[in-house]
Amino acid sequence: MLRWIFLFMAGAATSMMVAPSFAEPVELLISNNLTARAEFRKGDSDKPAVLLLHGFLQTHEFPTIHRLTDGLAGAGYSVLAPTLTLGVTHRKQSLACEAIHTHTMDDAIKEIAAWVNWLHARKAPAIVLIGHSFGSVETLAYLSRHRNAPISKLIGVSVVEGRLKIDEKALDKLIRSTRAKVKSGKKSLITEQFSFCQKFLATPGSMLSYIEWSPARILAETGRLALPTTFIMGSRDDRLGSSWIERLNKTRAKVHVIEGANHFMDGDFEFDLLDRILLEVKAF
Amino acid sequence: MKFAFKPHSIGRLALLFVIAASILVVSLGGYFWLEIQQASRALRENLEASARQEVSHALAAADQRMRSSAMSLAQWDETRQQLVFPEYYPVWRDSRVRDAGMISSDIESVALYDRTGRILSAKSAPNGLPNLLPGKPPLFFYIANAGRHQIDYFSPVYADPAQAILLGYLGIRFDFLSELKLQRSFQFADLGRLKVGLASNSPIDIRNSLPHLQFDTLSNDHLATFLQLFQAAQIRLTLAVLASLLIATWLLKRLLVRPLRFFSREINAMRTVDDNLPDGRLFTTPLYITELENVRRAFIDYRQRLFSLHESLEQNSRDFFDQARHDALTGIYNRRAYDEDWRGLGNDRRLGQAALLLFDCDHFKAINDTYGHQVGDAVIRAIASCLQTALRTGDKLYRLGGDEFATVLLDADPLHAETVAERCLEHIMAHDFRQYGMSEPATISIGVAASQRGDLGLGTLQKQADLAMYAAKRPASPKVVFYSEGMGELNALVANRSINAVFEAIRDSRLIELTYQAVMRLPMVQKEYVEALTRIRLNDELIRPDAIFPIVQARKLDAEFDLSVIRAVERDMTEGRLSPNQGVSINLSAPSIVNAKVVDAMLTLVRKQSARKIVVEITETALITQMETASANIDQLRQAGALVALDDFGSGYSSLRYLATMPVDLVKFDISMVRLLEHGEARQKMILEEIAGMVIDAGYELVAEGIETRAQLDMIISMGFSHAQGFYFGKPGEEVEEKIRQDF
Repeated sequence: MLRWIFLFMAGAATSMMVAPSFAEPVELLISNNLTARAEFRKGDSDKPAVLLLHGFLQTHEFPTIHRLTDGLAGAGYSVLAPTLTLGVTHRKQSLACEAIHTHTMDDAIKEIAAWVNWLHARKAPAIVLIGHSFGSVETLAYLSRHRNAPISKLIGVSVVEGRLKIDEKALDKLIRSTRAKVKSGKKSLITEQFSFCQKFLATPGSMLSYIEWSPARILAETGRLALPTTFIMGSRDDRLGSSWIERLNKTRAKVHVIEGANHFMDGDFEFDLLDRILLEVKAF
Repeated sequence: MKFAFKPHSIGRLALLFVIAASILVVSLGGYFWLEIQQASRALRENLEASARQEVSHALAAADQRMRSSAMSLAQWDETRQQLVFPEYYPVWRDSRVRDAGMISSDIESVALYDRTGRILSAKSAPNGLPNLLPGKPPLFFYIANAGRHQIDYFSPVYADPAQAILLGYLGIRFDFLSELKLQRSFQFADLGRLKVGLASNSPIDIRNSLPHLQFDTLSNDHLATFLQLFQAAQIRLTLAVLASLLIATWLLKRLLVRPLRFFSREINAMRTVDDNLPDGRLFTTPLYITELENVRRAFIDYRQRLFSLHESLEQNSRDFFDQARHDALTGIYNRRAYDEDWRGLGNDRRLGQAALLLFDCDHFKAINDTYGHQVGDAVIRAIASCLQTALRTGDKLYRLGGDEFATVLLDADPLHAETVAERCLEHIMAHDFRQYGMSEPATISIGVAASQRGDLGLGTLQKQADLAMYAAKRPASPKVVFYSEGMGELNALVANRSINAVFEAIRDSRLIELTYQAVMRLPMVQKEYVEALTRIRLNDELIRPDAIFPIVQARKLDAEFDLSVIRAVERDMTEGRLSPNQGVSINLSAPSIVNAKVVDAMLTLVRKQSARKIVVEITETALITQMETASANIDQLRQAGALVALDDFGSGYSSLRYLATMPVDLVKFDISMVRLLEHGEARQKMILEEIAGMVIDAGYELVAEGIETRAQLDMIISMGFSHAQGFYFGKPGEEVEEKIRQDF
């Protein structure tokens, strides 16, 4: 009898140890023929749940997201790391720049909202949105669309400007021409440089939905957020404009720069990033 | 069963050896060729098996790869994207799927189908894949398209990894051959002319489709090179061996066969040689084989000794030949040489200008008997020497036998022949025969026959010379007689018919027909007895004495013929052709008077017919030849009662010594002497009258022959002749009584 008692206790302890890191694949029906996938790590119920959103065209298995998921889950936080469908049901692969992109920022906002609702339905005491790279822009767009969303804090890691390496005038011109195509109903795919894509192939609507999130709009919308907002940036992030971090600092958001880290915060900087995020989450 | 061994020539055996060696070489070459072919076939089969295995592996790999490619494509997010939002499906199908590197270059077409199996965007689907799925995927379909082999593979596309949510289907078309080639580098299979034994648009199990595939096997370059090198080497080796055999054949023929053949030929030539010895051409140069060279040297020595022996034999043969052709006594050519030279000239040959001279010593028998054989031999040698001296250089003189000689003068006209004959006669006459103890000279008679225009054959020439010789031998004939047409009678008599008649008459005396010529007693002119004249009647043909006796003399038939005549006379006496008291005179030849049979027959007749007067007429020649025997026989006949008459006195070789000693009762003056008495010169008449007187005075009765006229009869009566006979008293066989009675 005593033996069985000891065995039970050992099993319980083991389950308690592995439970925070147990990964649960989650699928969420977005529409009739579109299902989104996500990884959910259930954490302590008294801690805030974290929704980690990957960068542009990536998945929740992107290393930066994956490491953060593991780190946060290890710290006892429930973590939901969804993969935006980008119009691909059950998407599990990064979508190439040259793929036919029909998805829009609105689609992303809808899916983030669905996942927030899904997480909120799990009775989380609070929900912290963490976005990486353009995912930070998309979470910002979500929050700008859903002002009353049950989000307690927004943490943007390596938040980008969106349309990179183009001046404001040229961007305005591109936006106007694209907007004209959308307005005229043209559906021919167009190719433009966007984010890290040299040739981003997309429908005019898709293209317009993303390029409209210009740096100025990002900064503006950040300023309009009512919840605490932190941007964690790498000092060696080469995906950013030279003055982007400075411009971010001019917003009401808190900007933390990890010296020496690149856009992906990999290597030894992943721990710095995790520590910073944990600090941010604990501080909440 | 007995095996008959038959030897073969070295050349044939050598040829057989070379042929056998060639066949062996070719056979071995063929054997190795076949072995290589078999090995090549086995290797080819291995290659084919390897090729099949290779293709089988390629099929499995292609199947796996196509499935893998289709699976990768089905699991590609953008594939699912198109099945959910197919608005830009053509872009994805035509460019995106290739640009993304999701399909390999050998995949020719890609198509997506919805869950019902209907192709997305059928209107813009020129890629050849069907608009509707041909079956329930996963499915491979074989397509034969313009000589190409294509495979359509259809695979389901699921939304979730558990394959619970079917989104649609994926179709890819790839080139079967390219896909197979893409799998691996074929070392054995040649798929260039791949044939698939399946109908187009039929399902195919690629992994197990090998039985449906037909393909070639890649030629193994190393094997082909090896075979080519081996075959070339084998051909070169065979040619080299054959060439070596040819050279060996030449060497064999040159070094062994040819010498052996020459040896064989030389030895065979020696075995069958007559006048030709081996030519010895081989033996001028040394041979290369020691043993043959030894044989060659031994053969040379042997041949030289053989040559020496041959030359010695030839010399001996020539000596024997010469001895056989020469007369031992005289040293001139003999009868054999005459016959051989005669045959050499050819009996049927027509001569141009040529003359045959026959010489005969007169009364040689008498000389021999009188002086002995040594003197006779000396006379023969002297005559031969004289004749040889008289002849031209190169003219051959033959001793035909006894006292007969002959020579043939080629290219000699009659005048030249006559000159030679006269010269011969002169040489004989000039010779002093007294040195041999002879008291009288030896004389010769010469018969000459000449061919002037090539109109005579040798046989005819010889016959004519014989006739001329007989003519020369006749009493009162010149010593050199040329054959003339006038000798036709002789010619006829010596014909076979006459000879045959003589022999028949000897065998059967009934063929002898005797006519009787009366011998008249003078001066009463009364028939005292008759002389039997001999003729032969054969087949109603009458052969006269002048044709009979030359044959008898030539054939030495005197005794036999005289015996037959004696039997004929006896027959006539018996049969009454002669009256019982009719005396008869019978001529006996010189040989007969010394022949015992003839003498005995004559003695029998005389004794048997003692009532008749029997006269035996002999010629003076009989007395000359065998004087003693003849005298003894005559004495016996006279003692038996016969009278002996010396016939033809004065016609030939007459000697007063014989006349003085001859034991005869009657002497018959030859007709020539009777004619001289009538028509001769005074001196001739006086001599003859003296001779007649001497004969009468010696006590002989004298008979005159050839009395043809009354004047002749009167003359001989006046001279004291006791008997006469001739045509004046009637021809032989006629009765003379009436005629005599009329004249007197």
